[in-house]
Amino acid sequence: MTSIGLPHFLIVGAALFALGMVTVVTRRNAVGILMGVELILNAANVNFIAFNHYVEGPGKITGQVFSIFVIVLAAAEAAIGLAIVLAIYQTFRTIDVQETDLLRQ
Amino acid sequence: MAEGSSNLRGYLVRLAVLVAGLLVFAGASLGHAFGKVPTGPTIAAQYVGTVGIVWGLNGFLFRTLPLSGFLLLVFSAAIFGVLFLLGYFFQSVAGPFVIDNAGQLVGLIRLTDLIFYAFALMTIGGAAGCAFSRNIIYSAWSLLFAFMGVAGLYVFLGADFPAVAQVLIYVGGILVLILFAIMLTKQIGEDPKLTNAHLALPVGAALAVVTVGTLSYMAVMAPWKLTEKPSYEPVSAALGVAFLTDFLLPFEVASVVLLAALVGAVIIARKEIKEQSDTVLE
Repeated sequence: MTSIGLPHFLIVGAALFALGMVTVVTRRNAVGILMGVELILNAANVNFIAFNHYVEGPGKITGQVFSIFVIVLAAAEAAIGLAIVLAIYQTFRTIDVQETDLLRQ
Repeated sequence: MAEGSSNLRGYLVRLAVLVAGLLVFAGASLGHAFGKVPTGPTIAAQYVGTVGIVWGLNGFLFRTLPLSGFLLLVFSAAIFGVLFLLGYFFQSVAGPFVIDNAGQLVGLIRLTDLIFYAFALMTIGGAAGCAFSRNIIYSAWSLLFAFMGVAGLYVFLGADFPAVAQVLIYVGGILVLILFAIMLTKQIGEDPKLTNAHLALPVGAALAVVTVGTLSYMAVMAPWKLTEKPSYEPVSAALGVAFLTDFLLPFEVASVVLLAALVGAVIIARKEIKEQSDTVLE
């Protein structure tokens, strides 16, 4: 048995989540905010797979199935989010989220 | 003419040092393996041999990086460390996989821990670079390290398919998409203060510390119901079966979501071009 256990992975996931949240909260660039969201989704995935490995036991893969769905939704979210960022840029000529506060042109 | 001969002499000296380094390295290794030379002098001799090899090779390879003095020693130490880890891996992990020796078991644990900490450091360092870098393009590149580190952690947890999916989708897809968005919105060097707000760094760091502290305390103190024997079996076949039996409905819904996202992204991002084509038609 190795000495690396579940808490190690949970701490890595917590650090990833915290840094992603900091990115979302402090960035003024819309693309930066999307990068923070990706970090948060990765943190959730690390937790899913760690729990699958250490808690769920051998032969059960529900955690990994959930992580695959999270990856799929992250891909869809990135495509839609970046398309919206490009549309915002074409309308306002900036992607500073503090300046883009109108829903019309 | 004189310059040519001095060049030739330099090459010969480098070649001689290279051969001498190789001989010292091989001799020390053989002496350790067969002649029962103790470990300390062996490692010292191998390091000296590595320095000679690096200095000799510097005359032929990577010549744009002139190594001398302290830099040479540090560079050689790095290369020697990599070689040491490789040799250690092949000697005690890949070779005799069934281990009944207590000393070797301790060494194996240390190496496994080392690999985990390397991946964890890569992940958290990449995420920190993404969060605190002033330049958005540096953030995107640090995100690459965070994604690769997370893929390594998946391998560490016996999740082979999610690891490959992570590399393919995140590194090969999402990161490229993010870089494209950054390039297309061309705000990299024009307005540096756009990347972060004024009070962002101290407030953000405090937020990160509080969150990590709370979640880590919970992760360490909670009484998790751990399984006795975690498995490292390949899971791809079982995942495929699960997707087509237990999770069939979510699987189909996910494909519809992806299709909708594809169409939606194209429609949203093509607005400008559509207006232009309208004006052309008028």
